[in-house]
Amino acid sequence: MSDSRVTGAVRFAEDVELPGMLHACVLRSPYAHARIVGVDTSAVPPGVVVLTPGDARRLGRYGCQIQDQTVLALDRALFVGDPVAAVAAATPREAQEALALIDIDYEPLAAVFDAVEAAQPEALLVHDSHTVSQNDAAYFALRPQPGTNVCHRFQIRHGDVEVGFAEADSIVEETFHTAAAQHAHMEPHACVARWDGAALEVWTGTQTPFNLREDLSRAFGLEPERIRIVCEPMGGSFGAKTFLRTEAIAAALAHRAGRPVRLVVPRSDEWVTLNRHPATIHVKLGARLDGTLIAKQVACYVDTGAYADCGPGVAQKMGFAAPGPYRIPNVRVDAFCVYTNLPPNGAFRGYGQMQSTWASERAMDLLAERLALDPLELRLKNLLCNGDRYCTGETMRDVNFVECLQAAADAIGWSAGRRGKGLSVVLKGMQTPSQASIAIEAEDDGTYVLRCATTEMGQGAHRAISLLAAELLEVDVHRIRFPSPDTSLVPYDTRTTSSRSTYMMGRALEEAVHDLRRSGSRRGHGKVADEGGLDPDTGQGIASTHWHQGAAAAEVRVDEETGSVEIVHLHTTIYAGRVVDRPAAELQNEGSMIMGLGSALYEEIVFEDGAVLNANLSDYPLLAFADLPGRLTHDLLEREGAQIHGLGETALPPVPPAVGNALESLGIRLTELPMTAEAVLDAVERRAEATA
Amino acid sequence: MSNEPEWLAPRSLEEALALKAERGEEATVVAGGTFVGILVNQRLLAPSAFLSLRGIPGLADVRVSDELRLGAMTTHRTVELSPAVRRGWPALAHTFGVVASPRIRNHATVGGVLADADHASDPPAMLVALGARAVVRSVRGEREVPVEEFIVGYYQTSLAPDELLVEVRVPGSPHRAAYRKFRSRSHEDRPCVGVAACRRGDDLRVVVGAVAERPQYFRELCVLGRDPVEIGRAYADAIDPLSDVSGSSEYRSRVIAVEVRRALEDLAS
Repeated sequence: MSDSRVTGAVRFAEDVELPGMLHACVLRSPYAHARIVGVDTSAVPPGVVVLTPGDARRLGRYGCQIQDQTVLALDRALFVGDPVAAVAAATPREAQEALALIDIDYEPLAAVFDAVEAAQPEALLVHDSHTVSQNDAAYFALRPQPGTNVCHRFQIRHGDVEVGFAEADSIVEETFHTAAAQHAHMEPHACVARWDGAALEVWTGTQTPFNLREDLSRAFGLEPERIRIVCEPMGGSFGAKTFLRTEAIAAALAHRAGRPVRLVVPRSDEWVTLNRHPATIHVKLGARLDGTLIAKQVACYVDTGAYADCGPGVAQKMGFAAPGPYRIPNVRVDAFCVYTNLPPNGAFRGYGQMQSTWASERAMDLLAERLALDPLELRLKNLLCNGDRYCTGETMRDVNFVECLQAAADAIGWSAGRRGKGLSVVLKGMQTPSQASIAIEAEDDGTYVLRCATTEMGQGAHRAISLLAAELLEVDVHRIRFPSPDTSLVPYDTRTTSSRSTYMMGRALEEAVHDLRRSGSRRGHGKVADEGGLDPDTGQGIASTHWHQGAAAAEVRVDEETGSVEIVHLHTTIYAGRVVDRPAAELQNEGSMIMGLGSALYEEIVFEDGAVLNANLSDYPLLAFADLPGRLTHDLLEREGAQIHGLGETALPPVPPAVGNALESLGIRLTELPMTAEAVLDAVERRAEATA
Repeated sequence: MSNEPEWLAPRSLEEALALKAERGEEATVVAGGTFVGILVNQRLLAPSAFLSLRGIPGLADVRVSDELRLGAMTTHRTVELSPAVRRGWPALAHTFGVVASPRIRNHATVGGVLADADHASDPPAMLVALGARAVVRSVRGEREVPVEEFIVGYYQTSLAPDELLVEVRVPGSPHRAAYRKFRSRSHEDRPCVGVAACRRGDDLRVVVGAVAERPQYFRELCVLGRDPVEIGRAYADAIDPLSDVSGSSEYRSRVIAVEVRRALEDLAS
């Protein structure tokens, strides 16, 4: 399975070749906000197929959670990079050259680039109204705020924070900020679309085949069953290849052309295709002198850019994770998903969790400092244990925060001295409600074919599910076949996100194997559905049917003359419940940690008037292998008889606060990510001024 | 529809010079392609022709006599690993060895890094500190230009449209030199500040790279025996650094003071 990636035999969406296929290019707005006054395509040579806002106007609106998207911008372009026209030609070069022959007349408009500013009542509106999507991805109650840029507001109301703060001996209050980031998946977004009469076929790399099918059905006014999505293996995704990205433009061009169309996003355009939400998070945390937490109030401003995408879900997850894995009797959370004139932001390995954990775990160390308590002791005193209730009202089961945190602290020798060392702990929900189904087909040659919608992006889900199938069917894993998902052949699944596939599909698989044996037929079917969800106004209910848990520990050295930070040792302990494929699980941990370090130290999309200044892999600072810590260690916590816990994302969110808290131990206080050398040097100077 | 760009691949230097005389700036010279490739991919450059130097024999030679002669097509990796360079000019080998990653260093060339005149490169500052000269040829003849005069501004050199950079000559007299690459971000990143220092007899040269349009060298500030702290501060005062994603102008000023001092300390140690 991994062999084909090593040898290059793997076929990505970009490699799909169909007879008569044309190549697409997209013309994007140079303005962050502009009225489209005129479109002149008369200079485009015949033979090149053009799609204009006028053509897109005849297609439907879509959007996975808020129905705010059209196939191209219609009257207004809403961000620098918003698609305003597209062409398809016989070669990519001809398509590229034809773009230059399209003349768009714009009238630039005022724009808004900051979520806190955009959330104010008097802010200019990015969208005039908010229509909640009927897509299955809108799985929770949405609360758009009419007449504002807030497309979803999520609240937790638990106890009474006013009473709590009145009883507190000590209160810390701080505003935290995290930067926009790019997934930087190796394989760019790519798809091929073909029409067969009134039926549409799309070959694409996607984590969300059924949600994509629903949005395409809205855009083209087709029954979902008339659309077939073939999910090619992805060369990385990290959340970037979710929902509808480029597929509608390719399909619209293919329809006009009467020929198949391939669309491959150039690397520089990835920074205007989908990014990670920047967030501003206000935290107020109150405790008794002994460190017992008593009240917490959090406001999250989640910048979703010009289109909501799954921003409402990200805001909700950022909100319900904001209290952290602690017993707190009084909690108030307000999370706002806010439109701005930046490129759209969406799912990014952890879905708001990194932003939330940064604010939450940094605040814990600020409190420890204020109360002169050991940050480890402060956490241990308050961590949720089995049987405790979370602020959502749900009872915690199979939680192991204490064990994870203690193991992480031990790994960096916390008890031998804490200077230059930092800890953090993460509680992360899994998409709830959600469902999974799978079919197993027994073949004459003794092999079994798995039909399910779990997609493969390099995370190893196909391998893990195949291993589980081999175990349940008591055959060698080589007898299991797992073809790329095709929506015309596989049963419905929520999507391949949220570290849910091995857990959810693994349980559906057990049912399918039982069904196969019980029925005595050649086909078994299994389905599981986890119920739950939160009230959007009170945050009460079931946030997650099981919890992803982990802790990180970092030891740093700082060059206090330049602000350079050296990571001496980084460790995470992640709760796995049961490990299915150990090498893959370890790689997930390491990959998450490395990505977390990128967020901690370097990664930031730099904007000027809404335009990305570092949209290339030279200026956008990814972590390189030479940047890895002197020691990078991790372990997977298992328990006899425990359920599988997903771990594709868990080790990322706790890394930035572990590093931030290590700096805090040196008196270097940072509230913003990334913690660049320049920001660290500024903090060193602030420390010097404070002590002078 | 326009035509594909022409690929000119001369087999001799004479042929290359004739093509350069004929086509001038219309033909973009390609050495390792690590810089031109980025420009083309980002659509910042779409020339009608490329002039590749790859097929010209002898342009990648490393020769050592009383001085070091690096052919323009010598790769960074070759300079980094050459026993002769490591023996006689260890700081130069080190400087080429801290550029980007081995994949890049296997392609990027000595001639390319000077001729593209990208301010955010490591080798130019070290070559200026070492007093290196660029050898430039055209059908009109050959001339030698000190490297500090070869790079004249952002992506600007003193090359005439018909000229090719063919060799870099580094003086061989005994010297001590040090290069400090300060990266504000990833290890594979370009320098935020690069400081090259070289002492040859009583001559001291401190050159700061990556902070302005060309390597910054202030002869009057390089006084042997002066306190390194003072020289560092003086360089920070003398340079008006650029601001970009690697660091603000103010930040670079602070780092220049520190890294110049450290380079002088490295030289003394």
